[in-house]
Amino acid sequence: MSGNLLHRLPILRRSDGIGGALPALTLITLFFVVPVVALLLRSVTDPVPGLQNYATLFGDGTYARVFFNTFLVATVVTAVTVIVAFPVAWMLAIMPPALGSIVFGIIILSMWTNLLTRTYAWMVLLQRTGVINRTLMDIGLISEPLPLINNLTGVTIGMVYIMLPFMILPLVGTLRAIDPMTLRAAALCGASPFDAFRRILLPLSLPGIAAGGLMVFVMSLGYFVTPTLLGGTSNMMLAAMIAQMIQSLLNWGLGSAAAFILLLVTMALYALQLRLVGAKRMTGGI
Amino acid sequence: MLLDYDRLGWLRAALLGFTGLVAAFLLLPVVFIVLLSFGSSRWLAFPPPGWTLKWYEELFADPAWLEAALTSARIATTAAILAVVIGLLASFALVRGQFRGRNTLRGLLLTPMVLPVVVFAIAIYAFFLRIGLGGTTAGFVIAHTVLALPFAIIPITAALEGFDKSIEDAAIVCGASPFEAKLRVTLPAIKIGIFSAAIFAFLASWDEVVVAIFMASPTLQTLPVKIWGSLRQDLSPVIAAASSLLVLLTLSLMIVTALIRRKLSK
Repeated sequence: MSGNLLHRLPILRRSDGIGGALPALTLITLFFVVPVVALLLRSVTDPVPGLQNYATLFGDGTYARVFFNTFLVATVVTAVTVIVAFPVAWMLAIMPPALGSIVFGIIILSMWTNLLTRTYAWMVLLQRTGVINRTLMDIGLISEPLPLINNLTGVTIGMVYIMLPFMILPLVGTLRAIDPMTLRAAALCGASPFDAFRRILLPLSLPGIAAGGLMVFVMSLGYFVTPTLLGGTSNMMLAAMIAQMIQSLLNWGLGSAAAFILLLVTMALYALQLRLVGAKRMTGGI
Repeated sequence: MLLDYDRLGWLRAALLGFTGLVAAFLLLPVVFIVLLSFGSSRWLAFPPPGWTLKWYEELFADPAWLEAALTSARIATTAAILAVVIGLLASFALVRGQFRGRNTLRGLLLTPMVLPVVVFAIAIYAFFLRIGLGGTTAGFVIAHTVLALPFAIIPITAALEGFDKSIEDAAIVCGASPFEAKLRVTLPAIKIGIFSAAIFAFLASWDEVVVAIFMASPTLQTLPVKIWGSLRQDLSPVIAAASSLLVLLTLSLMIVTALIRRKLSK
């Protein structure tokens, strides 16, 4: 296109400059960058200048437990989500469109339904007297209700539920981009289905798994609503702890230090993901 | 033959069965909540001993719910319009602009989507307390516009990248001013992207809980804040009724989106 004669016309050579982005840049600088930077500064100045907030966070066993919980839940959620999402994405990639659109419809419905609504449903489903415990007791599988809520089991179930669409949808794209001929060739050369899966399908979909998994992990690390409602007070995760430090304890120094740690980890993983998939691929996700 | 639907053999049955189970898992809470909202048990027994509309009556009898929904609608509409307009302008610069740091700028404008929202929530909360915007509608709108902006920019830049600029140039050659060409040629061509942007931006604000919890005041509550407050007290079936209406809204939004996309793409 650039070789087109028309583009030598002066009026067409003028490309859009940075001007259009100025309102967005102003908004983000003023109401995003400045507040976040101010918050981070507070972590080393409140109540007195120094690194004492970080020392407290790293030196206290209570906080160490919250960090450990957060990473544990994020890791388990990511692993379960990947394992559950892969076969679904695989089917969606090759299913007849009529059947596939039903499954896609369900995924979108779940994803677009209000987050609190979905979490509320899980609170009711998982409680001691909830449907799941009732059903399991009625069919005689258990005699005592299982503790499914106010612990990390509840958080994991609820989080996997929320993260699944974010893993399935990009993975479908990855799987669709794989040329089926490669697998046909493998079969012709005598590879068993298991070998073909292990040595061709899985390696070829690894970039999608890595990108989606990283996204799920990052989102899980900072998630607030679902862990707070399903985890109860004794299994706090990082985001809930930050909110509590600010809202109930009014400990701005400690809260902003914890926020800085969360920000740092998130941004580092985000940068890694950009490396893996490139900015464009990633933002094409929605 | 792993990627050939018709030649998967027994594996297909297994994978289809598993996909069905996952679809049921995804659908379960949504269907469950709707059924529950018509159940007569205050303690959310399931299956319900009887069916009733009383939770909906209770919901509509309490003006706080309606007020919260209206507040949410007002804030989400304003934030969505702002995000789409600002995002549209930014998208032209991001897709067509030739200046240094374009990719950095794109990354910066999309950061609000990546940063854990709790970090932004306490940051903007502290900032608004200092400049006197805490607990105000304006503050809400600004914070939600920041969060909605990436959701507007992504579909619009995608649409713009798929649009052949020579068509706009042709309009200019035929005598249209650059502005006119954009308005009457380019915008209609990327309207699906703009429409998606509006939906995503609206939902980003409408469903937003974390910033809203910090920004809310006793006199200014959005619907998620109201639900959050009720959830922390008890699991009243009134929340199920409110939730079912939200599911209905989601479904209508999905249908409208599908219809409009179909119409626009003709």
